[in-house]
Amino acid sequence: MFNWFTPKRKTWLFRVNPALKFIVFFAFLIITLVNQSLPFAISQAVLYGILFYVFSGYSLKKLSLLSIPLVISFLSTGLTMLLFGKGEAVLWQWGLFKISEESIQHALLLGSKSLSFGFVGFTFILTIQPVLFFYAMMQQFRLPSKYAYSFIAAFRLIPAVTEELQIRRNALKVRNIQFSKGVKGLYERLQSYTVPLFAQSIRRAQRIAVAMEAKQYQMGAARTYYYPTQYNTIDRVFLLVMICCLCSAFLLSVYR
Amino acid sequence: MKKLKFTDLLITIMIGVVFGVLMKFWDDLYTVVKPIIPVARQLLYGMWFMVGPFAFLLLRKPGTAFIASIAGASLSAFAGHGIEVLMYGFAQGLAAELLFAAFRYKRYSIMIAGLAGIASCLASFGLDLIYGYAALETWALIVKYGLRAISAFIFTGIFAVYIVRALEATGVTSLIRPVDKKEYTLLDQ
Repeated sequence: MFNWFTPKRKTWLFRVNPALKFIVFFAFLIITLVNQSLPFAISQAVLYGILFYVFSGYSLKKLSLLSIPLVISFLSTGLTMLLFGKGEAVLWQWGLFKISEESIQHALLLGSKSLSFGFVGFTFILTIQPVLFFYAMMQQFRLPSKYAYSFIAAFRLIPAVTEELQIRRNALKVRNIQFSKGVKGLYERLQSYTVPLFAQSIRRAQRIAVAMEAKQYQMGAARTYYYPTQYNTIDRVFLLVMICCLCSAFLLSVYR
Repeated sequence: MKKLKFTDLLITIMIGVVFGVLMKFWDDLYTVVKPIIPVARQLLYGMWFMVGPFAFLLLRKPGTAFIASIAGASLSAFAGHGIEVLMYGFAQGLAAELLFAAFRYKRYSIMIAGLAGIASCLASFGLDLIYGYAALETWALIVKYGLRAISAFIFTGIFAVYIVRALEATGVTSLIRPVDKKEYTLLDQ
């Protein structure tokens, strides 16, 4: 599954410091979140769309496959707002459904926002290596090593967790377990999956922590890093380009 | 105040990650239910608030609710839910953490855990307001978030407390909980 995430070509975005990339993209997301103007939301979605489709370095086939959930979330967030959104200038009404000018505006705003989120998120995930991201967070942004290593260790265990979940599912199927209806059934389902899963993961996590401490890992101690990361010229270029892009997106939306 | 040891921290983050995986599967169920019955969809929503309170109920130490919530959200973000879930994870975890802190981290009852879930629900409502999800007609707003709050209480209060109890029965919690005074006195006998 992880082989799927190998790009066709490594674009310049791959060489940017992953922690810096995260901070910049996160700032973008916050701007997207608080923005309430429709033109700016649309121009942002276009900008991030360009980042995603042109500079992520993946083949068009994979990119279009990744676009499917984005389109679905665009439609589902937009549709609820379109039909149930509040507004005065009513265009069409049928029972509880009501479409007004305001609700169309709001639906478009929400849709563009969710597209922006999707594009930025995917561009980030497609162009980083998770391990290097945590190393860069430790070295460039002083994230305490205990968090970074815990995250790396826990992420490494994901395949084991999903495998266990699968085994549990099969075991329940083989035994032909029937759940009750309603809320009680929901609880039974949740319990029968989570309890063995958590018991096993807690044991595993505890063993890893004990092993790390046995090998003299100390929280808060000064340390060297196996993968050194630093800032390069490309990071300055990245920062500059991103700021220019955002500014032009803003100006485009103001002076149409 | 009991501080987090490295073991506690790794287990907390592990719980967050396991929840992230579970939420990935839960999301499939949610997506199927989503267009058909909007009411049922809101009732399933509590799962997203469960991670922080659950971690706290299990480890009973300050900071666990917040850290586990962020860990769960970052896994969801990596699993393709979009980075915005990080903000939700942050806000929800913080709200739950503050609620436990208000009771000095000494209450582990269904009531308090459920209230932590409702606090998380409120925090996510706040973010929805900024995002623009909440610009609905008043009746739709009340139905949507009312059901969500009920669901939050059921999942983080009732479900989480009972699952933690089931886990206590497996004996795995003895690895992580601080040793009781009672257990020391047992040694002396």
